[in-house]
Amino acid sequence: MAHVLFGVACLVAAVWIFVDVLHATETNQVRIRRMSRAAAVFMWVAFCIGGYWYVVFYKVDKAIILKGPWPFAHSFFMETKEHLVIMLLVLVTYLPIAAANNLATNKDARRVVLWVAGMIALVALLMEGEGAIIAMGVKVALLAK
Amino acid sequence: MTPDTENVGVSKYTIAFGLSAALASVVNALLVIAKEKSQAVQAGMQKLTGHHWVTHCVTVLVVFGFCGWLFARANGGRGMEMSVNRLIGTLVAGVVVGGLVIVGFYLIGD
Repeated sequence: MAHVLFGVACLVAAVWIFVDVLHATETNQVRIRRMSRAAAVFMWVAFCIGGYWYVVFYKVDKAIILKGPWPFAHSFFMETKEHLVIMLLVLVTYLPIAAANNLATNKDARRVVLWVAGMIALVALLMEGEGAIIAMGVKVALLAK
Repeated sequence: MTPDTENVGVSKYTIAFGLSAALASVVNALLVIAKEKSQAVQAGMQKLTGHHWVTHCVTVLVVFGFCGWLFARANGGRGMEMSVNRLIGTLVAGVVVGGLVIVGFYLIGD
């Protein structure tokens, strides 16, 4: 699934930014800003593809999951994922705004970016895990048939 | 290596949109409860864009964008003023509370 690929790219970019900001100087500042914009683009692409798939095709998977042995794959994991991902989208949209400050000379600005990038990485990891459980929910339901 | 002289404080947009992100996270969670507990709310959201989730996303993103813009224009255009510690605390609290409300709702409330 393409949205998983872009979600992972966002996660990798967030970790990259976190590490780069820990060692922020005038020389890597431009790269940090570019990576924060890239993280936002990756997440928006993942969100649009995943959102389209969810709105148009997910109802078939939902019916399969709910009839299978893992109904919680939808009733808990998909329900939380489809709403927590909106929070993730807001955070990645905010990241380039926070990274626009002078990170090389401003400790406060670095702290803000570190917190935001850290939260993005954690929530993105959670989304990947929830996605895996939802896919397993479909798989075990089909195997149980 | 960071320079010896450090600047402090962040731009007005960092504060404005940081607060807005915290607010949007809480609004996101409240919207989940509202639409799951009220059929009328869910039906209304469904009617607006054709899918309740699309309306949900648009609402949260509009809250984020509009409040960020509004907070940046506060204090005669100087933006909202607060310490960076308070900004980080508010942002993290907003995200954590929003996340816990959503998880808690589907775990025990739904």
